[in-house]
Amino acid sequence: MTRARIFFTGVGGQGTLTATTLLARTALDAGLPVTSGEIHGMAQRGGVVESTLLVGGYKSAIIAPGEADVILGFELLETLRGLPMLRRGGFVVGNSEALQPVGVCLGRECYPPLEAVLETAKGFAAQVVLVPCISLAEQAGTAKAANTVLLGAAAACGALPFGVADLTRSIEKYLKPKLVDVNLKALALGAEAAKAGQAA
Amino acid sequence: MGKELLKSEGGDTLLLLGNEAIVRGTLEGGVRFVTCYPGTPSSEAPDTFFRLSQGAPYYFEYSVNEKVALEVAGGATLAGLPTLCTMKHVGVNVAADPLMTLAYVSAPGGLVLLSADDPGCHSSQNEQDNRLYARLGGLPCFEPATAQECKDMARDAMLLSRKLETPVLLRTTTRVNHVRGPVVTGDLPATPYEKPFVKDPAKYVPLPASARVMHKRLRAILDGLVAEADASPYNVESGAGELGFISSGVSRNYLTDVLEEEGLVGKVRLLELGLTYPLPENRIAAFLSACKKVLIVEELEPVLENEIRALAQTRGISVEILGKSEHLPRLGEFSTANVRQAVRAFVGQPAAVVEALTVPGDLPRRPPNLCAGCPHRAAYYAVREVYGDTAVYSSDIGCYTLGFLPPFRAADFLLCMGSSISTGAGFARASGKPVVAFIGDSTFFHSGITGLIDAVAYNHDVLIVILDNRTTAMTGHQPNPGVDTTIFGENPNPVDLMALIRACGVEPVKVNPLNHKATLAALTELSKQTGPRVLVAEYPCPIHARRVGQAKKTLPARVAGDPAACLTVRDNLACPAFAMVDGQFTINAEQCDGCMFCVQLSPDLKPGKKEAK
Repeated sequence: MTRARIFFTGVGGQGTLTATTLLARTALDAGLPVTSGEIHGMAQRGGVVESTLLVGGYKSAIIAPGEADVILGFELLETLRGLPMLRRGGFVVGNSEALQPVGVCLGRECYPPLEAVLETAKGFAAQVVLVPCISLAEQAGTAKAANTVLLGAAAACGALPFGVADLTRSIEKYLKPKLVDVNLKALALGAEAAKAGQAA
Repeated sequence: MGKELLKSEGGDTLLLLGNEAIVRGTLEGGVRFVTCYPGTPSSEAPDTFFRLSQGAPYYFEYSVNEKVALEVAGGATLAGLPTLCTMKHVGVNVAADPLMTLAYVSAPGGLVLLSADDPGCHSSQNEQDNRLYARLGGLPCFEPATAQECKDMARDAMLLSRKLETPVLLRTTTRVNHVRGPVVTGDLPATPYEKPFVKDPAKYVPLPASARVMHKRLRAILDGLVAEADASPYNVESGAGELGFISSGVSRNYLTDVLEEEGLVGKVRLLELGLTYPLPENRIAAFLSACKKVLIVEELEPVLENEIRALAQTRGISVEILGKSEHLPRLGEFSTANVRQAVRAFVGQPAAVVEALTVPGDLPRRPPNLCAGCPHRAAYYAVREVYGDTAVYSSDIGCYTLGFLPPFRAADFLLCMGSSISTGAGFARASGKPVVAFIGDSTFFHSGITGLIDAVAYNHDVLIVILDNRTTAMTGHQPNPGVDTTIFGENPNPVDLMALIRACGVEPVKVNPLNHKATLAALTELSKQTGPRVLVAEYPCPIHARRVGQAKKTLPARVAGDPAACLTVRDNLACPAFAMVDGQFTINAEQCDGCMFCVQLSPDLKPGKKEAK
């Protein structure tokens, strides 16, 4: 795969944009042309953050419904909300864990079950892989590395134009030295969980 | 993105945000003076200048508002320095007064105005098209589409402005400011440019007699620029055939992707415009003459479309021109999806069928919310307790506009930056109802203060609550005139807000909004008075306090009693640190900022214990 539209969606503060930039740098290092976009104006903590990465020679930095080859969902509900962006035969790699929106906490709205993502995407997506990113990141050393867990999962199940080894190099090259170890651990845990999930 | 932007030799490939690329481009154009008022989607441009400002070859300031920013910038270019002034589209309305005359007075050192427009209203109150300001004010206009073009056009806008001594508009849109892509850098200039000021009042003072001469000079510059636009490498033609497309700005990206995916590259004619005002008239005329039918692809207003229609009529070119009315919307932003449908209709193909999943329409929404520990939440809670629905709430632009949402519903109307006091005053005068006007510290300095002066002068009956969180939080924690701390340490010259209010003629009352009892007492007292009254609710934004290393270490709150008894607190505060786990109220220790406001509202909530964590 050398041409791909990747749609990222998550909640402010989750590291969605950091992950987007890391993938963009990985693509550049692989010699692939890249353009990326983000919307974060009103995304104070708790709002939705969406970003895009288009690899392989696209000029537009946005993705329209039905156009995404890959959806990377950093939060379960946002993954579900982002599904209309997916093209038939695309990949969905997401976090199986939830961050409650305020309406849910107030009891005014119901958080959809995990199965809603699987049910909706079934028969349309080539593959749906959900891994518990926050728990695995905590296991790696900090919940903040949940974004890297997701990248590890996505690379391991073949959703990205690059592999776990490319991401390992990027983490070593572009993250602050004190963050490298914990993120490498998170990347590996994500990759492992995705492979286990695929086998299951 | 750090110091590599200041590296003097070019030739590197950097992965840059559009706004960062603009910084590099203006540096390559020799910029030495930068002013701004922050505002999404422009903010990362000035923020990057600010971060790199120590020891950098330019002066930088966050001005008090856009009008002041442009006026200070105007002074700098008159003094002979290459100057950049940045703002969001609605900011240009604030700066419109000096802008309209600036092009008359001229810009000897060079002056580029960055206007970041927001088609789709991602973070704005309207989606005005500021290309019209280029026409109104007589400013040459560049419209970049990629990160590389942001860099190149920012540089060339600066060089062109210097050459012509006239201000130039660099007009971007949200998707361009926030695009991220590879940028090949050029060299920074070896010698700094300046043009010493020579007194010449007839040239620089627009009295009526001299203004008429200046206007003539400006029109001559713009007329002369048509040849430059015709020859500009940013105005590029490709392809062949009878069907033509003309596009500018970010729409070019959507159009070229669609032409490629539809297999139309080379089979249709394409004219891409980057230097769009004045129009490259001769080039467009030649293009029109070669086509039978042309589709103009541009977001928002039919600016090019109308001008190109007029051009065809003037030159007697018989060609069918299509655009907004036939195929493309005037509202919102474009995407490959709607441009694809327009292109297919134009070339006579059936509409493309898009296959996409549908999800339930009633998914829980995730509106942006006041953060955990935000002092505005406490201030709104107290105001609601005193006034409930009896008062009308006049709101303003900032994080606190989010108080619009339930449970606070603390915004009944809003016009623009700095309007809450004056609009609230007008409403109170007209209706006789109690009015509470909310305004942030930065917004008060920006243009709220004139409303206060008016309220005092005409004894308007309005309670003004200044939500002073010691920073400009909404746009990314930029310093404003009142702040005591920035990312570079203490502000040596803070403006005393309390003294300023006093000087306007009101004795303000100051409270810490996180101290509920004191705030409630102050509000109750103020609610019994009439005329203009000011409550300053001062407490630092917790995110800002953390960023500048001034956050007080506190433990998260916890449920110490009956969780069911805390549900009223949950309903009244809607703090994002609150959660329901297995139907039980709980406080998420990871999210809680330890502000301890909720603890004051229920005996069942308690400060965290040391051993708890």
